[in-house]
Amino acid sequence: MRDRAAFDALYRATSAKLFGVCLRVLKDRGEAEDALQDIYVKIWNRADRFAITDSSPISWLVAIARNHAIDLLRARRPVGDLETAGEIAEPSPGPERNAVAASEARQIDRCLGELDPPRADAVRGAYMNGETYEELAKRHGVPLNTMRTWLRRSLIKLRECLQR
Amino acid sequence: MPEGDDLVAAEYVLGVLAHRERLLAGNRIETEKAFAVQVARWQEHFDCLSDDYQAVEPPVALKSAIDRRLFGEARAVSMLSLWSSLGFWRGLAAASVLLAAIAIGREFIPLSPQSSSGQMVASMEAAGSPYKTMAVFDPSTDMLRLKMMEGDMPTDHSMEIWLIADNGEPVSLGLMKRDGPTEMPVKPAMATRIRDGIRLAITAEPMGGSPTGKATGPVIASGVVRAI
Repeated sequence: MRDRAAFDALYRATSAKLFGVCLRVLKDRGEAEDALQDIYVKIWNRADRFAITDSSPISWLVAIARNHAIDLLRARRPVGDLETAGEIAEPSPGPERNAVAASEARQIDRCLGELDPPRADAVRGAYMNGETYEELAKRHGVPLNTMRTWLRRSLIKLRECLQR
Repeated sequence: MPEGDDLVAAEYVLGVLAHRERLLAGNRIETEKAFAVQVARWQEHFDCLSDDYQAVEPPVALKSAIDRRLFGEARAVSMLSLWSSLGFWRGLAAASVLLAAIAIGREFIPLSPQSSSGQMVASMEAAGSPYKTMAVFDPSTDMLRLKMMEGDMPTDHSMEIWLIADNGEPVSLGLMKRDGPTEMPVKPAMATRIRDGIRLAITAEPMGGSPTGKATGPVIASGVVRAI
């Protein structure tokens, strides 16, 4: 059946990347496996909607996977105020730093490079790990509101840079 | 407050919103076009960061579980809509390996990876016709490839491929091969006419093709060429 063949090829080409996203965000193999199943069902059912987006296919697929994983993460761990945020096990985002060096060409990296390093790390960590303000605040050892202000200012600076 | 909205959009993409705020933002993406556009713009900015996610092979059994959910029972998933979706094709084109495998099947000649851009596809069918055909044209080599995806090649007719000119006149491109996929070089003069928006058609003609050079038989499939 050709639709299965289409799906098989799509899965073969993309599943490792999407599983990597789920693992990174959810940090739980079982949950990541369940999430990946749901994600492919979603992708299959929403393939038509792809027509209205301009992004490249793998970006679109990764965005679906990442959003799904973050949704699960938030549902699993509804975070109240900082005191109840619980312990955060995620180490600092080291590997990305190296990746950055290898790809100066990326506009987002250039713009992140214009931020203070800890703030750039916060933005990057938030994106890669799906961390909340609370978790970021804890990891960087600053009050929640400070982190919120940091990040929002960083986003405004980023926007200025990205639009140049 | 558009300024604030744009920040919320950024926060959504970044993933820092708490559960409730995230759900609210998710709803707004579905219902507010302007907000959805802001989210899409931020997502585009951040897309490259996703390169840093390390690929990890999922367990093999997972694929079977997904297959069961998708194909377990006879599902009325409209493959047709998927196949006729330009976005789907454009998407697959970016990974040309995929395009080769999906559109054409493994037995078909793989498209060269370096020519993944600028290719054109047409998903061809006709109301009431059992035939469905995929056509892929590579302008860098002027090769047209066709594969019958559904329907059996008739034994008493030839299938002739036509380019429908701007004046509505069909111009013959050649005959489909009886066995396996068809691969034919298109003459430069004709090749330049194959572009986004032009229609291709297949008619059933007497064996050996139309004797007059004009289409005489019924159209068994047609479709518009789309650049991917």
